[in-house]
Amino acid sequence: MQTTPAIPDTDLQADNLRRAAIDKSVKGPVLFLFTNGAFWLMLSTLLGVLSAIKLVEPEFLGNSQYLTYGRLQPAHINALVYGWGIQAALGVMLWIMARRSGQVLKGGQTLLITAGVFWNITITFGILAVLMGKSTSIEWLEMPGFVWPVLLGCFLCYAWPIARMFGRAFRPEGFMVSTWYILGACFWFPWIFVTANVALHCLPGLGAIGAGIDAWYIHGVILLFFVPVGVGSAYYFIPKITGQPIASSQLASAGFWSLAILGGWTGMQKYMGGPLPAWMSSVGACAGVLLLIPVGLVGLNHHLTTIGKHSAVATSPTLRFIFFGAMFYPVSGLVLALNSAFWTGANVQFTQSWYAFQTVSVYGFFSMCVFGAIYYIVPRLSGCEWLSVRLIRNHFWFSVYGVGTIVVMSLVAGWQQGVDLNDPEHWDQTFMNHVVNSRPYVVSRAVAWTLISFSNAMFLLHLLLMVAGLGRRSSAPTLLGHDHDDHALPHEAHA
Amino acid sequence: MSAPAHPDSTDLDRLHSAVKREKVDLAPESQPAPLWAMFLLMFVAIIAGAQIGGPLLGGWSFDISNPFAVANGGGDPRPGGAGAGGTLDPFALAMKKGASGYAVCGGCHQGNGGGLPGQFPPLAKSEFVLGGTERLIRITQHGLVGPVTVNGQNFNTAGGMQPFGGTMSSQDLANVLTFVRNSWGNEATMVTKDMVQKVRDEEKRASQWTAAELEPFAKKNVPGDIPAGPGATAAAAPAPAAK
Repeated sequence: MQTTPAIPDTDLQADNLRRAAIDKSVKGPVLFLFTNGAFWLMLSTLLGVLSAIKLVEPEFLGNSQYLTYGRLQPAHINALVYGWGIQAALGVMLWIMARRSGQVLKGGQTLLITAGVFWNITITFGILAVLMGKSTSIEWLEMPGFVWPVLLGCFLCYAWPIARMFGRAFRPEGFMVSTWYILGACFWFPWIFVTANVALHCLPGLGAIGAGIDAWYIHGVILLFFVPVGVGSAYYFIPKITGQPIASSQLASAGFWSLAILGGWTGMQKYMGGPLPAWMSSVGACAGVLLLIPVGLVGLNHHLTTIGKHSAVATSPTLRFIFFGAMFYPVSGLVLALNSAFWTGANVQFTQSWYAFQTVSVYGFFSMCVFGAIYYIVPRLSGCEWLSVRLIRNHFWFSVYGVGTIVVMSLVAGWQQGVDLNDPEHWDQTFMNHVVNSRPYVVSRAVAWTLISFSNAMFLLHLLLMVAGLGRRSSAPTLLGHDHDDHALPHEAHA
Repeated sequence: MSAPAHPDSTDLDRLHSAVKREKVDLAPESQPAPLWAMFLLMFVAIIAGAQIGGPLLGGWSFDISNPFAVANGGGDPRPGGAGAGGTLDPFALAMKKGASGYAVCGGCHQGNGGGLPGQFPPLAKSEFVLGGTERLIRITQHGLVGPVTVNGQNFNTAGGMQPFGGTMSSQDLANVLTFVRNSWGNEATMVTKDMVQKVRDEEKRASQWTAAELEPFAKKNVPGDIPAGPGATAAAAPAPAAK
């Protein structure tokens, strides 16, 4: 398509220069976010290994109170969500929105980087506080009360220029397909974040409903922030790399709006049968199952777009990560439906399958899509190409196997735990028996996080070399599967 | 003139190569979606509707915390959940849970409560079971060792009977004792959690009892309220079929 004769050469040249200028304008903040995010991801996966080991072998690492499971696990999840997830998502959002809107980031780079610095410092203090025992004990909001206003301010520093770019953009037909997800994420995250934090930190004496609000917050962040960024980047990069237009703009539209409508309704089904008003968990369960519709529409659209054209998955690192990330999206939807529906939820409630949902959506789906985006974006910002095919390949396979293992094992373990706990014949069994029975699954979780840590060490190293400008000096992209070069695969086709 | 940052930073062609090889953004098409997919999504919607249809029969009330509250009178929807016995009276509930808890005892005393001649005393028609509740609770709470005569037969099992006070809650113990006192033809009053707890609080011994030591308690019942119903009087309790 880049050699379409209909476009005069000068126009093409101007277009290239315009995109290069856009890349240059967002280079600083985006690379800052990616690099710091990769450090947090490294830390988070290592903490994931430690906390899984602690769950099996509490004596591991001695009796230090700072390294107990109850502190390591929240530190692991918080580093994953706030250190890596939101930070990397902001980088991807900024770049995609700049590119889609065709707008150069006019000033404010210093403010963005300052906000990024504050974001990282605050999380550092927050996670240290969790490890020192100052946790708030609110899942995903364990960091102490001083953290969230700073995070909110930093987030808004990024959301504002992104929304401004959208406002100034010329919007041709089909402009919205990936853009509206990015725009939605800009607005939804502050809404969820403020609501949950004000309710949980500022309103006294919430009682049981506080737990429900917390569950709503977790589902909201996943469904209205991580999912939109993942889907938005998949919608952007799949046609960009394959050269195939998205199959159906109608499906894309329906998928977006059904997610927008349903995403904020789910969460409280986590406490089905618990001390919340029944209709709250009913509505949550209903929305949790209904979310299969936006998930299915997006999956169907991607399927129709890529059917019969999967060859580029073998060569393009970006497409490979995005493709598998997009395949994890329906999986996360199914796990959510499984946890939500009353028939199955009664058995997997409060078990490891909850962890399966968090892992598959934050790591399996979202992070894989963002890895793909990073493999595409960074060469354009740093001016050099990825160094090593092997590092990328290892990053991919260890991540896929690792996260797949965690998801499958947590689901099976959750089902077994739940069925055992609910079995009337087990009423006289001590709880310890259930804990001991789940040990093999937790061991596999530790192994899987080790694989993922290994893959992320390679990713971090690779990214640091790229950011330092030490990548390959070449005009050809780094592609996987060089053996196919025999029949003159055009490099530019899969960059 | 200062040196360029990169040895080849003047190579504009290379620097912009990543941008140049990109494909243009494409407008999405309007391919039709397959019909089966629409039916699949309708199926999803029906399942989702079922989550909300049944539970909400009770209305949008803030007072009902259980989705199946209307269906089973406030019970927990899960099998064996906290409210599973909500529709049972206290005696029937104790019998039901006690029957399950008896699995711990049945290894020696056998499923039919008959014991094993020469090894384990029977529970059916045993004066230790049907007599005063004080002695019965003490035996199960602290264990029993030494010679004992039950239904005219002599038993002296090595090690005696182990104490269960440490491993079972007072509620569990009360359920099992109620079950034992009302099965295999036995008929006697219910043993409640409060009774077991009372004995627990009074007596903290670590060693097992002997039959002689317990003789003073043989006819003594632990005082305590028994919920009105079939378990309140011995005669009114028809022994349900034991599992």
